[in-house]
Amino acid sequence: MVEFSHLTKAYKKRVAVDDFTLSVDVPIFGFLGQNGAGKTTIMKMIVGLLAPTSGTITIDGALSSHPIFKKKLGYMPETPYFYEHMTGMEFLRFCDELFEHGGSDAAHYEELLKKVGIFGARSYEIGTYSKGMRQRLGFAQALVNDPEYLFLDEPLDGLDPIGRREMKEVMTDLKKEGRKVFLNTHILADVEEICDEVGIIHEGKMLYSGSVKAFCAGKPLEERFMEVVEAHEKQRT
Amino acid sequence: MKNIWVIAKNTLKLEVRDKILYGIIVFGLLYIFVALFLSDLVLKELPMVKSFGLTGIYFFNALVALFLGTTSFFKDIDRKVAYFILSKPVSRAQFLLGKFFGLCLVLLLTSAILAVAYLGLVAYEHGGFDGLGLLAIAMQFLEMALFLAFAIFVSTFSSSLLSIVYTSGVFFLGHVVSVMLTDARTIGITGVKYALVEFLYYVFPNLEKFDARNLAIHSVAMPFASFALAFAYAAVYIVLLLVAAIRIFDRKEI
Repeated sequence: MVEFSHLTKAYKKRVAVDDFTLSVDVPIFGFLGQNGAGKTTIMKMIVGLLAPTSGTITIDGALSSHPIFKKKLGYMPETPYFYEHMTGMEFLRFCDELFEHGGSDAAHYEELLKKVGIFGARSYEIGTYSKGMRQRLGFAQALVNDPEYLFLDEPLDGLDPIGRREMKEVMTDLKKEGRKVFLNTHILADVEEICDEVGIIHEGKMLYSGSVKAFCAGKPLEERFMEVVEAHEKQRT
Repeated sequence: MKNIWVIAKNTLKLEVRDKILYGIIVFGLLYIFVALFLSDLVLKELPMVKSFGLTGIYFFNALVALFLGTTSFFKDIDRKVAYFILSKPVSRAQFLLGKFFGLCLVLLLTSAILAVAYLGLVAYEHGGFDGLGLLAIAMQFLEMALFLAFAIFVSTFSSSLLSIVYTSGVFFLGHVVSVMLTDARTIGITGVKYALVEFLYYVFPNLEKFDARNLAIHSVAMPFASFALAFAYAAVYIVLLLVAAIRIFDRKEI
């Protein structure tokens, strides 16, 4: 279970995440919100790239910033950047080597590249990869340590329809394997299709969390999302 | 330790694939060959041959250190490649140290390539192994390692362009502070002006400590104590710079 307790992240003049409290214990959870809502900031705090201003994030009762936890997680940043002169295989090996016993399982890397659909480009320099291929490689490196928890920031961004379908299938497979997947997205259709629960975030605040079905209450997700955000805006003014 | 080595090894691998580094090495080799042959043709004097060769190696290594030190670490943060690394069981200190040692390996490699060319040509031209020249190149490597540490330290809080400006400034001051202090004492400057010169002398690294070129050019052996002192000086300065860099990087929002 992942628990956020009064999580706040403030920059000099802006509060990016504001007293965020939530418990999540479902296979696939989607953070849904507009650009700049605070989704990426939350994910970066979970994986230890940013320190919270206040509050805590615990996973199975332990603080997520603990180094031991990093062995159990996979993270894919938004719009991933890579070392352009490395090949896909080399990059996976490099990422794996950063774990205690990793770095020597070429068959595992090949399997991952097949899973995300870029096995054919494994020996090409990443500098030659398209945006979609980079997204897929970003996904593959998140799986390199066989993680229990996956945190994916806009994983379907930049993929063509076939790529989106394939990546959604990979996420569904991960769910079947018993892994927990957290994803950030602003694409409502994806959330509706694959997430067990969603969290609606707006300006760093949690507006709703729970099942997609309950949230929609018979209406299209997009309509409900706009209603909730607009209601919050009205309340604030 | 393993993670530092993995990052260092990866840094070496990536930098040797960079065409800019190739360019610097190729020009360095060209300079050594041309300078050695020209000086030999015109002057037929071994000190002049050594002077051209060692100065060339120094200049091109300084270019490599400036280029790598101010861009490699900064790019990883700026282009967010560090996100992949730091979300794994890797501390920020390990990441920074891995980058530093990786860049030192690159510098060692370029120094070795240029040194082999220099020693080979000196041996071909004058039939002997220039051991003092090799020692001078080793001293230059120490200076460049310090230079790299400073460039990485500056990269933790400033942009790549500003890092070039700051690092170049320190490189220049590092070579003139000891001369400035000596001149100030000789001329008899006192008061605030002398305090300022003394302040600069103690704050900036004294890079003249690593200059063994003149001794090597005139085939004068460097006292072991001077070598040991320079080594200890570089080690202490590098450790202080890296500790400061890690403390700043630990607090940095990336």
